[in-house]
Amino acid sequence: MSRITKSKTIKIDESVLLCKNGCGFYGYPAWKGYCSKCWREVFSKESQQHDAAKQKRGVQPFGRRQSPQPAPVDAFSKFEEKKKVQSEKRKQTVRSIFKKSPQNTLQEPMAEKSVRKVSAEIQQIGEEFADFLKSLRKPEAALDASKQLKYFIEKIQGMPDSPVEDLSESVVNFYQSLSDRIHSKSIYKGLSQESVDLLMDYAEKYLLIRLYRVLFCPLTTDDEDKDLAIQTRIRSLHWINVHLLDAQIDEQQGNVAELIEKAITSIIEMDTMKAPQQKLECIVRCSKSIFECLRVSKGAPASADEFLPALIYVVLKANPPFLQSNIQFITRFANPNRLMSGEAGYYFTNLCCVVSFIENLNADSLSMPQDEFDRYMSGEAVPHDPTKQYSCEGLRLMHQNLSSLGELRSQLECLMAEALQLQQDNVDFKENFKREIGAVMLRTPLVLKPRKVKVNIDEEEDSDVSSRLPPPLMPEVVGVGGILSQPMISCNTQSSDFNESNNNGHSPDPVEFGEFSSHDNPL
Amino acid sequence: MMVGPDKVDLKVVLLGREYSGKTALAHRYLLQKFNPHMNYQTTVGAAYGARKFEVDKQTIFMGLWDTAGSERYECMSHVYYHGAWAALVCFELIDRESWLRARHWANEVMTRGDEGCKIYLIGTKADLVTEPGTPRKIEYATAKSYADDIRAKYIETSSKTGQNVEEMYCMIAEDYVADMAKKTKGEN
Repeated sequence: MSRITKSKTIKIDESVLLCKNGCGFYGYPAWKGYCSKCWREVFSKESQQHDAAKQKRGVQPFGRRQSPQPAPVDAFSKFEEKKKVQSEKRKQTVRSIFKKSPQNTLQEPMAEKSVRKVSAEIQQIGEEFADFLKSLRKPEAALDASKQLKYFIEKIQGMPDSPVEDLSESVVNFYQSLSDRIHSKSIYKGLSQESVDLLMDYAEKYLLIRLYRVLFCPLTTDDEDKDLAIQTRIRSLHWINVHLLDAQIDEQQGNVAELIEKAITSIIEMDTMKAPQQKLECIVRCSKSIFECLRVSKGAPASADEFLPALIYVVLKANPPFLQSNIQFITRFANPNRLMSGEAGYYFTNLCCVVSFIENLNADSLSMPQDEFDRYMSGEAVPHDPTKQYSCEGLRLMHQNLSSLGELRSQLECLMAEALQLQQDNVDFKENFKREIGAVMLRTPLVLKPRKVKVNIDEEEDSDVSSRLPPPLMPEVVGVGGILSQPMISCNTQSSDFNESNNNGHSPDPVEFGEFSSHDNPL
Repeated sequence: MMVGPDKVDLKVVLLGREYSGKTALAHRYLLQKFNPHMNYQTTVGAAYGARKFEVDKQTIFMGLWDTAGSERYECMSHVYYHGAWAALVCFELIDRESWLRARHWANEVMTRGDEGCKIYLIGTKADLVTEPGTPRKIEYATAKSYADDIRAKYIETSSKTGQNVEEMYCMIAEDYVADMAKKTKGEN
C-alpha cells in the first residue's frame, strides 16, 4: 500500500459497507445491506415464499421482516468480508465512512428507520407545499396544482418498470405542461412571477421526493454498475496529488485544509439529499468552498482555469457515494431550465466534466510518460509530493495541533502577564489612593467645633449680655452706620451656621471661622 | 448586480486558451471594472456570473460561464457550450498561439455546439498592442476576415482600460433580444 494513501485515509472495517452476501460489491441500506444483484435474488426468493399480494411495494414488507436467510449465512459473509478486508485493505475516504457506516452497522433498526425517515421527509415537504399553496390565497389554483401532481405521481408509480428515458421524458413533459397550465389557465391569473416560480419549484421538489425511491438509481438501469465503476476508478487514482493536477491548492496555508474538508463534506452530502435542488445546493456549496480555498491559496479570486483542477482533486479525495446515480438523477429529472443556465447549472456542468475527466484519465491527461502512469496505477511507485512533509495524516494533524497549542500557550502567557499587571495596577492604585487621602487628611485636619447653643433672645435681656450689645438702634436715624450694623449681625450668624455644618469638610481656614463663632457665641 | 441563480435567460460561454484574457473579461463582467493588481475583494471566484441588461424596455438576465482553457480538459468542453446562446472565443492580440487555438475553438463550437450558437471572436489585451515589447501579432483585417468567414462578430477589447468590454456585453444582450424577436416572429 502506498504511503500517500495511508496519509490521507484511515483503515476501516469495510465489511460494514459491503454487500451482506459477501459478493464484493457495496451494499445499500435501502436493500437491507445487500447490493442490488443479491438483493434481487433474495427478494425473488422472498416473494416466492409469500403470496403475490404483499409484493407490490417491494421494500416495504421486506423491511419489516427479518431476513429469511439463516444466521450462518450472515456469519459466513462477515467472515468472508473480514478476509477480504485483510487481503485487499481497500480504503475509503474518512468522510464517506462516517456517513455510510452508521447506517450499516446498525443495520436492522436503521432499515426500519430509513423507511420512516423517508416518509417523514415526504411529510415535511408535503406540509411545506401545502403551506405554500395556502399562502397563495387561491384555493382553486392550489387544488388544481395538487390534483395535477397527485395524478402524475400515481401515473409514474404505476409504471415502475418502464425504461428510465420514458420516465425522464414524462417528468420533464410534466414540468412543461404544468408551467403552460399555470400560464394559460384563468384560475392561476394574478399570481406574481415569483409565486409561479416558487410553485414550480415546490412541485418539482415534492414530486421527486415522493418518487425518489422509484426514480433514483432505478433497477432498470446500469447506474449502480457505473457507481461502482467510478468508485473503483477513483480508488485506483488515489495517488494523484494537487501537483499532478496543477491545482493551486496550498494545503499548508491557513485554513485551506479545512476548506477542502468542507468541500469534501458538501459533495458527499449530496447523496443524502433527495430533491435535485438540494443536491445542486450541495454542489454549489462544495464549489464555493473550493473557490474560497483557492482564494486563500493564491491570494486572489480564482478563475475557471484553476477551479476545474481543484474540483477534480476534491472529487478524487471525496469519492462521493452514488456519484453517477446522483448525476443521472439530476440530469434526468431536474427541471432542465435549472441545468441549462444559472449558477447551480454551471457548477453541475463542472461536476459532470470532472466525472468524465476521471473516467478518461490517462497518462496524457496528467502529462506524464505512460510507464510512469502505469507504475503509479499498479502501486509500484508513489509520485513525489514536495509539499507533503508528513507521511501520515495523524502526524500532520498532531503537528498542526501542537502549533495551535503553542499559539494558545503564548496567548495564555500574554493573558497571564496582563492579569498580573492588572493586579499590580490595582494594588498600586489602592496605595496611591490611600496616600492621597492621607495627604488630604494631613492638609485639612478634622477640627471639631463646639456645638452652637441657641441664643434665647428673651433671656438675653435679663443677662449682662445685653449690656455688652450695642445700643438699640434708633428708628429715627437713617444713616450708613445704622443700616450696616444690623445686617452685620445677621450675616455673621448665617455664616457661622454654614460653617458649623461644614466643619468636617475641608474648610480652607478654620481659624477664621473660629473667630466668627467665638463672636457669635460669647459664652 | 448579481441575480438569483434560477433567473437567467441566456447562457454565454467564454472559450479560449489559458491566460487568454477570459478571466479578466469575466471579472469585468461581474464587477464592471478591472484591477491590474488582481485584488478583487468582493468576489470569491469569477467563473460564473449573471447580470441584468435592459434592452428596448426588456429586462434580460445573462449568465456568463467561464471555462477551463487548458488542453487537458478540451475533450469535455462541449459539455459547457451545450445550450449556450453564444460563445465568446477569446485570443490575445499579441500571441499567435492563442489565435490558432481560438480558431480551433470556433471550429469546435460550429461542429459540436448547439445549432444557431452565435460566435463572437474576441481579441483581448488590446492595450498591450500600443506598448513597446508586445507587438500585435494578429492584424485586424486577418481576424475580421476570419470572423466574416465563420459569420461571427469580431471585437477587440482591453479589460485593463475597459475598451469595448461593456459595449461587447451590451451588444450581445441586444443581439439576443433581436434574435428572440425574430424567432417569435418566425413562429407566428
